[in-house]
Amino acid sequence: MDKVFQGEHLLPGHIGQMFVILSFGGALLSTISYYFATTSTDKLDTSWLRMGRWAFYINSLSILGLGTCLFYVIYNHYFEYHYAWAYTSRSLPVYYIVSGFWNGQEGGFMLWTFWQAVLGNILIRKAKSWEKPVMTVIGLSQLFLASMLLGIEFFGARIGSSPFLLLRNAVEGPIFSRTDYLSFIKDGQGMNPLLQNYWMVIHPPTLFLGLASVVVPFAYAIAGLWQKRFKEWITPAIPYTLFAGMILGIGVIMGSLWAYESLNFGGFWAWDPVENGSIFPWLTLIGGVHVMIVYKNTGHSYFTATFLILMSFVMVLYMSFLARSGVLGETSVHAFTDLGMFWHLVVFILVFLGLSLFFLITRFKEMPITKKDEDTYSREFWMFVGAIFLALSCFHLVLVTSIPVWNRMFGTKVAPPVDLVGHYNVIQGSFAMVITLLTGITQFLKYKKTDTTRFFITTLVYIGGAVLITALIVWGTGLYKLKFVFMMVMLGSIYSLLVNGKVLADALKGKFKLAGSAVAHIGFGLMLVGALIAAGTREVVSKNETGNINIAGFDKNTGAGDAKENVMIYKNQPTKMGDYTVTYIGDSTAEPNHYYKVDYKRLDAAGKITEEFVLKPNVQISREMGLTPSPDTKHYLTHDLYTHITALPQPKAAAPADGGAHGEADDDADYDAPIAHEVAVGDTIRFREGYMILKSLNKEAHVQNIPITADDIAVGAKLEVFSHEKTYEAEPVYMIKDKKSVFDFDRKVEDAGLKLRLSKILPDKGKVEITVYQQPQNKRPWIVMRALDFPYINFLWAGTVIMIIGFLLSIFRRNSELKVE
Amino acid sequence: MKKSSILGLVTIAVAIAVIISLYSSTSTYGTFNDAKKTESELHVVGHLDKDKALYYDAAKDANYFSFYVKDNKGEECKVVYGGTKPQDFEKSEQIVLTGKMEGTEFHASTILMKCPSKYTKDQVEVTEAKAKSANL
Repeated sequence: MDKVFQGEHLLPGHIGQMFVILSFGGALLSTISYYFATTSTDKLDTSWLRMGRWAFYINSLSILGLGTCLFYVIYNHYFEYHYAWAYTSRSLPVYYIVSGFWNGQEGGFMLWTFWQAVLGNILIRKAKSWEKPVMTVIGLSQLFLASMLLGIEFFGARIGSSPFLLLRNAVEGPIFSRTDYLSFIKDGQGMNPLLQNYWMVIHPPTLFLGLASVVVPFAYAIAGLWQKRFKEWITPAIPYTLFAGMILGIGVIMGSLWAYESLNFGGFWAWDPVENGSIFPWLTLIGGVHVMIVYKNTGHSYFTATFLILMSFVMVLYMSFLARSGVLGETSVHAFTDLGMFWHLVVFILVFLGLSLFFLITRFKEMPITKKDEDTYSREFWMFVGAIFLALSCFHLVLVTSIPVWNRMFGTKVAPPVDLVGHYNVIQGSFAMVITLLTGITQFLKYKKTDTTRFFITTLVYIGGAVLITALIVWGTGLYKLKFVFMMVMLGSIYSLLVNGKVLADALKGKFKLAGSAVAHIGFGLMLVGALIAAGTREVVSKNETGNINIAGFDKNTGAGDAKENVMIYKNQPTKMGDYTVTYIGDSTAEPNHYYKVDYKRLDAAGKITEEFVLKPNVQISREMGLTPSPDTKHYLTHDLYTHITALPQPKAAAPADGGAHGEADDDADYDAPIAHEVAVGDTIRFREGYMILKSLNKEAHVQNIPITADDIAVGAKLEVFSHEKTYEAEPVYMIKDKKSVFDFDRKVEDAGLKLRLSKILPDKGKVEITVYQQPQNKRPWIVMRALDFPYINFLWAGTVIMIIGFLLSIFRRNSELKVE
Repeated sequence: MKKSSILGLVTIAVAIAVIISLYSSTSTYGTFNDAKKTESELHVVGHLDKDKALYYDAAKDANYFSFYVKDNKGEECKVVYGGTKPQDFEKSEQIVLTGKMEGTEFHASTILMKCPSKYTKDQVEVTEAKAKSANL
């Protein structure tokens, strides 16, 4: 007999779980029905087709239903559900509750299956004669995604992981033997502070739409082979392929913008395995769409086009395996841990890989593969070469990223290259060089046959121009300090920009439909230019030139990535850093963020301030995660100044409230030995970091909470303190209470590191004694920060936007071609 | 010879070149003893010796952090890192260092650490709950 637990809300979970099973059933029925609809020879019988559609509608509605249930659970803070407990908390603002929705793995699958359902519904309306076979494939993919959410035991093995799992079933603990356990669980664990960011709200849906849409060209390719409609599938699949490439590209760049704006990578790309994973399918997809266009125009490259499109979806599955199976272990900072889905994910990949290979092999003989060779001076040949190089670039990424997979498969213990980032940069740079050059060269070639003399002349002219401009850029930005291959990438990018610029200019004059590819290539070229300059010539502003303990081997900046890039600054003490004078001026807190205000000043030769701004890098301090820093960046048109906190003092216990009688809170140990000064009104007292003037004596001083009677005497010393170009006021008080007890109340000027006492009154001399306590430097608040300058990074973001516009133009063009045919 | 066959050969050649370049640049997970024998950088896996002091004083040098690590063979070595102390370093269970020996010290260029994070271990915190039940 099951125990009855108090206070649980089991209904939304039961309904949600019902929807999970219904979505699985719907997908299963839809796949089977569409399969029989496709293979049925009776053209007049539409019953299978109708059943397939209805089953798919049920699947789509169930996904909406289960999403609603999960949202209900999270929104109402029902922490009896593991998902709500693990990823949200009561203090989480509503807009982050939305992102809490896809914080866990189950949420990721839910987004994916949601987008796939949306795409399926579009295809049911638009695909016409392709609907049956294409929807069979999409139904199968829906089936697998739905199974990931099942969370049901089959013969002792749990299939999938349900978002409606109860906390008491997910986690072991003696507490769950009590029927009133829920009254002890007041709050959830909350969201990882790193993810409490607006990017987390928009990045995952975009990325998952990109990943989900790769299934559409895949389904068309399979359908083409399966139905032996070899030539026909390409044309309708091109717009979908472009769409997938565009959205996936946006998703990836959003991830990198997120990393740059609010994570602590110190850059926009770190070659992290999960990052790499997200561009595997993009590379094959982009290669694929180019050869699809080649096939459409010339009839060449059929096999390559089909193969690359099929592999793109397999890559989507593979990257999802890498990110979710736990296989990456400690090589990635943002991989999930194994939820017991390792083999489930492997089966997912193998089924779709097997399906692809089965059709490629069985249909190989019938494929429309041309016997004739492409002409050397034809556009199709060099586009084909470009696609091959995109595939090779993907091959290299997969090979290196999968090192933990190889280790697991072959029982080896190979470590990744020591200079992993350098390795990726050089090899991927070489591929980028070839690919950018090809995006230029092919523009001068025509399909089928080109006039060679003219081709050589124009190509050489543009190469010459590109060499000149590249030389100027390399010299101007200091790119020549890097490896030669990066200069070649720059040359390729500039060449591509020039040539595609010309194509765009021609297109604007007349052949406007050709503009799409030119614009996309220009965007891609600009992205590479921006990424190259920003990453290659990024400068450390916070170079630490003083106070180094010399360590042999660390002076060279090779390998030792973080060497001497951090600077410690004390509060209110201006420090020179590159062109800037930097001062840490204070903190502010908006839980869980602690902002550190860093004032940057740029002075001209005469010492006048030419520019001043404040950056607020923040650190999230949470009980579970410790300190999580986020950078703040000053954006200029041509460069970015990026600042983040790298170390902080150990947090102290709360400081005693200001104004306690001296001796109560004995913090004298935090100060240097006191110095007493006998001064009259108008006198100046000097201290290490400035001076102060005794302005006047206030005979009617008040101290909070202490009533002054006629018998008491209270005198305040009004002091004006000047330190580091700032003025502060302080009024320590001297008091004789009831004619016998003598107190004095110190005042602190925290920012100047001072504690001031009016310790004696000397009426005979007409003077008072002011005791000055100075804080030694190392007791003052400080931060350690790192500041980087990224030149021309805006080219990267601008290039992305331009590339997206190019994709959009191409989608419209290919879509209109569809209607003409 | 057909152009496509030439291209196929080029593709295979590039693929092989990629594999070789990766193979030649991959390293091994070693020990401090291995590090003493070689001039080149390598990965050392070990764990932090929590009995010995960590040294990081930002006031003296914000880019000097030293600590002691025991590698998987049990050998201990002083490690120097030219950066700030990573957050939650004390809590790390396992450390992967990249770097090389300089005299008797291991100079790390990168530190990867594995922490017992709440995101990998599901444990309901019952400390708070217990205090409350005592009040009932």
